[in-house]
Amino acid sequence: MKRRTLMTYSAAAIAAPMIGRVQAQAPTTVRWWYHFDNPQASPAELVAKFEKENPGVKVQAESIPWGGGNDYYTRLYAALVAGNGPDCAMVKLGNQSRLLQMKALEPLDGMIDKWSGKSDIAPNLWKMHQANDGKAYYLPLQYVVLYLYYRTDLFQAAGVQPPRTFDDFLKAALAVNKGDVAAFGMRGGGGGHDHWGSFVLGGGATFDSGGMVTPKALAANRWFVELGTRHKLFPASAPTDGFRQIVDNFKAGRTAMTIHHIGSANEMVQALGDKVSAVPVPMGPDGKGWTSFGDESNAVFAASKAKEAAFRWASFLSSADNNVAFNAFTGQLTVSTSGAAKWNLHPKRFVDATAASTGLMGTLPNDTKTADFTRTVWPQQMQRALLGQITPDAMMQAIEKHFHG
Amino acid sequence: MTMQRRSEHIPFLLPALLVTAVVVLYPALQTVWLSLHHFVLFDPDNIRFVGLGNFADILLRDELFWISLGNSLVWVVAAVGLQFLLGLVTALLLNQTFWGRSVARALVVVPWALPSVIIGLMWTWMYDLNLGVFNDMLLRAGLIDAPVAWLAQPSTALGAVILALVWQGFPFFTVMILAGLQTIPATHYEAAAMDGATRWQMLRYITLPALREVIATALLLRMIWVANSLDVILVMTGGGPGYTTHTLPLYAFLKAYSGMEFGYASALSLLMTLLLLVVVATYVRRVARSALA
Amino acid sequence: MIVRRSRLRLLLEVQLPVLLILVFAIAPYLWMVLTSIKPDNAIATFPVQYLPTAPTLEHYQVLLARTSFLHNLFNSLVVALGAVVLGLGVSVPAAYAFSRFRFTGRGGLLVFFLVINMVPVVLLIIPLFVLMRQLGLIDTFIGVIMGHATFAIPFSVWMMTSYFNALPAELDEAALMDGASRWQTIRHVVLPLAMPGIVTTGIYIFVNSWNEYLFAMMLSGQNIKTVTVALQSFIGEFTVQWGLLTAGGTLIALPVTLLFLIIQRRLVGGLTAGAVKS
Repeated sequence: MKRRTLMTYSAAAIAAPMIGRVQAQAPTTVRWWYHFDNPQASPAELVAKFEKENPGVKVQAESIPWGGGNDYYTRLYAALVAGNGPDCAMVKLGNQSRLLQMKALEPLDGMIDKWSGKSDIAPNLWKMHQANDGKAYYLPLQYVVLYLYYRTDLFQAAGVQPPRTFDDFLKAALAVNKGDVAAFGMRGGGGGHDHWGSFVLGGGATFDSGGMVTPKALAANRWFVELGTRHKLFPASAPTDGFRQIVDNFKAGRTAMTIHHIGSANEMVQALGDKVSAVPVPMGPDGKGWTSFGDESNAVFAASKAKEAAFRWASFLSSADNNVAFNAFTGQLTVSTSGAAKWNLHPKRFVDATAASTGLMGTLPNDTKTADFTRTVWPQQMQRALLGQITPDAMMQAIEKHFHG
Repeated sequence: MTMQRRSEHIPFLLPALLVTAVVVLYPALQTVWLSLHHFVLFDPDNIRFVGLGNFADILLRDELFWISLGNSLVWVVAAVGLQFLLGLVTALLLNQTFWGRSVARALVVVPWALPSVIIGLMWTWMYDLNLGVFNDMLLRAGLIDAPVAWLAQPSTALGAVILALVWQGFPFFTVMILAGLQTIPATHYEAAAMDGATRWQMLRYITLPALREVIATALLLRMIWVANSLDVILVMTGGGPGYTTHTLPLYAFLKAYSGMEFGYASALSLLMTLLLLVVVATYVRRVARSALA
Repeated sequence: MIVRRSRLRLLLEVQLPVLLILVFAIAPYLWMVLTSIKPDNAIATFPVQYLPTAPTLEHYQVLLARTSFLHNLFNSLVVALGAVVLGLGVSVPAAYAFSRFRFTGRGGLLVFFLVINMVPVVLLIIPLFVLMRQLGLIDTFIGVIMGHATFAIPFSVWMMTSYFNALPAELDEAALMDGASRWQTIRHVVLPLAMPGIVTTGIYIFVNSWNEYLFAMMLSGQNIKTVTVALQSFIGEFTVQWGLLTAGGTLIALPVTLLFLIIQRRLVGGLTAGAVKS
């Protein structure tokens, strides 16, 4: 008896909000969940501006703790399951397929097509945010592309150029890897798959079935792991380093290169001045490469009772000047093409490096297994390979197994 | 023992049972239910009953379960054991009379007064390869030649996290034992002193036996708490490097919140609870029998 | 203890070890305090700088004036005190019953409380959230207090039982035989003697509630945000606000330490005067 009650209860608790009662769009309150890095940054001004332009709509902006991503998404999933989720929220591509499978997202194509700001966002950006079913559920908010930071002075002293290909990279790294300075601040902790991706996905591995264990993919991964195990180009702490460590190590002059994005550019310049610059990540001999496109978008939820109003708020945030203002809070780049032309919040050389990287931009597959891959599977296997506990090939096989069984 | 009327105990017990039932019993029962199902949070259409299938998968096909179990054992024994020893010594010392005792008693509580997330972050920073104070001080003292990646090496990672946990937890034992020490009448010591007992003998024959029940209970409860705890490890290493600091609760947590596989994770945590139950039952039978008598 | 030591022996055998232990206990906290008074560009430098060259209180100023930290501190205080009241109010009577009464199911219930303690509640944070929503307890003080009290109850029941067990039952019997009611016995005889145990258990509940993060984070909303959740907001996706975080961490340990400073006198009371003549 109890089991059946529990079962029905749980099933109902999950199913109910997903059925999503569609009601008339009353222009009342839009609940929006967000997370800003700087807790003092407040969207209040943007909210006020929006409410002035849209009388009758009130925006309730709720700041949700990020907690490494875990807390934010636990809260979001819990709220969606319990039926009191927000109308719209900041979300990342890595969660799109899971949210879709829960039938939590509202398709936005119709509303986007009628939106005046649609053309101000580059077509390839729209394409990257598309779901597997070809529909658009996400409104791009910010633009993050990873590039390669390098120490101009160390490179000059060693007489090497900033690398363009993998071979260049190895030569340059060997040249600058001396004394207390490790050539490359590799990020082995959670989120570090971006580093690996540039060399291994850029080197020919793919997430398609069998794509991780082709001879080319295995060779690329072996080459990457050996940068650490054989050539000793990574610092000893690499296996568990997170973004904080790679940035701090580079700022402190303990590494000569690392991969990160424009969000850290200002603090790099503050610490190193002219001694730091950036180029796109190195490419393979075939001219192909891969760098992580770090995304953040707004999505509207299917259970929302104010979908149209929520879309208005989300699109407001993605349009030209508002988006520029928004990204002043997040320290990332605007998605608006017109806004990008007038961008002056970061030193030019970093904006240039970002722009030059657009050809290499890639995202992880829109798959329900991706979130687990980035959070748990990749760090574990990468660490084991770096520590010599498993062979590089075994690492690739584990990744293949995770996605394709 | 004491004279009691027949159902006198009921109003004493009822409030505790009621409050517990609402917030803990219900989710506990739900864990049991979840463990018998294939339940992935983002796949609500595919929930199905699998009976003991999850348990079979864990015990027979999951090497990470056994690795985590081993780590958990080391983790619990080392962390609780060291917390207890340090806490006991500290409590005995703080029971003495000396100048500054009040301040010392208050200051010793500081590690316990900090949230786990702060502790995790500070200790991670202190262990940092380049910017951490440990490496810096050891280098300056000439005890090491090159900085050590404490949290990135399998040989040191678990110990490093255990040290942080000992730091966090020893005040708990200090406070509990100190309170227990107050219940020992001074007359016992006076009588023993008149009989010519040494300090060690007093410790061994008066203090420790009198503290026995408090120590036994504190150890038991702390053991359960540490076995289930994961926030410090989560912040400091996330279970890495590799599987080195992967303990059972961390494994269950990652399965639930990274993989969203709540059915499997619930089965893991139930197994953990069962194992704890066996250990606790043995422990209670041997050591804390008087508490249940 | 009774035997007087010589001053030298006191120094070597007691004060020095205490100092060492205190250094161990305080050093990381001190490092946090030092960090909190350094300007941003002096934090996380290489090589490590211990003492600040240009100490500043700017982080504290920003923390207290420009964030909701004080308000969150207040929230945490309400929650923790509520948890203590609820937790003690519920577990002291239960422990008394376990210690003084004998009834069928006594052993089983004691084990029940222990087993409840063993289920890792952190796993159930989502089902718990759903339950709390059903009960309308999201973003309320009661919801978080209930949660915190409940996590503390199994422990409190066990600890209080053992503290009560340390007081001989003859005390109760003597009072009852003298014609006192059960309530009078408890109030005038047992409770005063059990005070150190009660106070200690209360502190445990307070500290646990004060430091708790996960439950508070899940159940909080815009109205109820405890200080642990507030601190977490300084750890962002791309940056860690070390200055604000360490300032907040420094402050967060103070209430508990102060509380303990005040309370610890009570701990010395109790039976040291040899009150029990048996």
